[in-house]
Amino acid sequence: MTRLDPPQQALSSFVSSFTLFSPAEERFAGDRVRMVRAEEAARLDRLESQVENGGGGASEYLCLVGKLKARRSDKVLKHGLSILNDPKARSKLGGEEWTLYEQVAFAAMDCQQHDVAKDCIAILSKEFPGSTRVGRLEGLLLEAKGAWAEAEKAYERLLEDNPLDQLIHKRKVAIAKAQGDLSSAVNLLNKYLEIFMADHDAWRELAEIYMSLQMYKQAAFCYEELILSQPTVPPYHLAYAEASGLVLYTIGGLENLQTAKKYYASTITLTGGKNTRALYGVCLCSIAINQLTKGRNKEEKDGSNLQSLAAEALQRDYKERAPKKLPLVISMLKNMKLNS
Amino acid sequence: MGAECYYEVSQIAYIKLVLHALKHRSAAVNGLLLGRLRQDGGATATVEIADTVPLSHSQIGLLPALELALIQIEEHFEAQGLSVVGYYHANERHDDVELGNAAKKIGDHIFRYFPRAALDNKKLERMQPSKSRDPVVQLYTRDSSKSWRQTGSDGSNQLTLKEPAANVVLLDYISSEKWQEIVDFDDHLDDISKDWLNPGLFN
Repeated sequence: MTRLDPPQQALSSFVSSFTLFSPAEERFAGDRVRMVRAEEAARLDRLESQVENGGGGASEYLCLVGKLKARRSDKVLKHGLSILNDPKARSKLGGEEWTLYEQVAFAAMDCQQHDVAKDCIAILSKEFPGSTRVGRLEGLLLEAKGAWAEAEKAYERLLEDNPLDQLIHKRKVAIAKAQGDLSSAVNLLNKYLEIFMADHDAWRELAEIYMSLQMYKQAAFCYEELILSQPTVPPYHLAYAEASGLVLYTIGGLENLQTAKKYYASTITLTGGKNTRALYGVCLCSIAINQLTKGRNKEEKDGSNLQSLAAEALQRDYKERAPKKLPLVISMLKNMKLNS
Repeated sequence: MGAECYYEVSQIAYIKLVLHALKHRSAAVNGLLLGRLRQDGGATATVEIADTVPLSHSQIGLLPALELALIQIEEHFEAQGLSVVGYYHANERHDDVELGNAAKKIGDHIFRYFPRAALDNKKLERMQPSKSRDPVVQLYTRDSSKSWRQTGSDGSNQLTLKEPAANVVLLDYISSEKWQEIVDFDDHLDDISKDWLNPGLFN
């Protein structure tokens, strides 16, 4: 049991580009989507325990894993292989057989079972000679083995015939990231986004990398792009608010705080007041703004009721769902002078 | 710090922080170390790290969340005579054992309140099924030139596990996938009914 090593890290990047679920996507799943996912996730869990206990339903389970892009590689590997190794079960799949080989190949790579992956890819390669999709799998296997230079070469070759293949471009970014070369990753992503500017996945990934490099202004810019194209997705507002707040710590500027507060507020509106981080965010911004505007003209001070409303909402929420923590929160708000 | 200062990590603190890192294998994680200073007489002192509160597993640089957590955590632990004595951090890539800028900044922040602050950087490679007594973390302390330096590079053992069998217990928890149950402050912010104190984790 270990932390992920670089090849596994690489697989985590843009893994949603293939059939697996990316962490960046998870973080930004809107609440409604998350709810739907929760129901389907529950169904997935039920199916999983059914299959695990010998109750059948393996192909349905594998299908759902693929649809939800859930990362359950050890189970997929186990049950996928049992179907593929059984000629009768395999023939029942018909055309789906090949997608299953692909799915099992990914799972095998994620579980470090490179030989199994190699076998699946060989079978697919025989069935679909010269296929780009299979070529990508081969590249991915090289990545999984940590053979970065070879993987890059393989992708370059594929790009010659398919210069606009988004998935391959993104794999190059994943390789850079896994090797810790974040500035290359940033460059590659920026070039990619010049061509594919509607790729939200890529904007999110770029924002996250900027945040980890503490380049908050650049991260904020990415979130602006996302808000422009999808204005009602709360996580983007929240992320933009957080990034703006951080711009303040590095570059300073009252307007960054005000931007942050504005977007925490819009997050609250979009989520019906249910987002804890946004409520806290409003409170923190208000104190900081008040501190910065001490002694300034009244007009420049922030006079809205927003902070006391947020404080009230927080207290109500804690009273209902986490009463043990309520005294701590009340005391904190009092210290922050938001509790009258 | 002129005098020798030792750091002793309790089993609970140690296990919680390792489990936290294992729960979020593909992200950087961090958290706070709670403890107290114990004068051993003479010039030596020991910082007892009694407990930890896992903070986050995503955007590490977020100072606002840190402020919130610090206020609530300090208030809570004051009653037990504990205060924030340090910070732990595990990098995203397991072969990256450098102390990152975010970690240093947070360390500096804590240092203002507690001068003997300790910074733990985890080098969690493949956990060998060994029963060694050494903790799988690296300790950093701040010297007078305001930079964080790794201790123990000169062979001295400043960081010890209070209960020698801690690694054995840890391996046991790992095999039972105990890390699924760890809650950090980040999880709390997503769902406030989750408790960052992790009560009942070791029952």
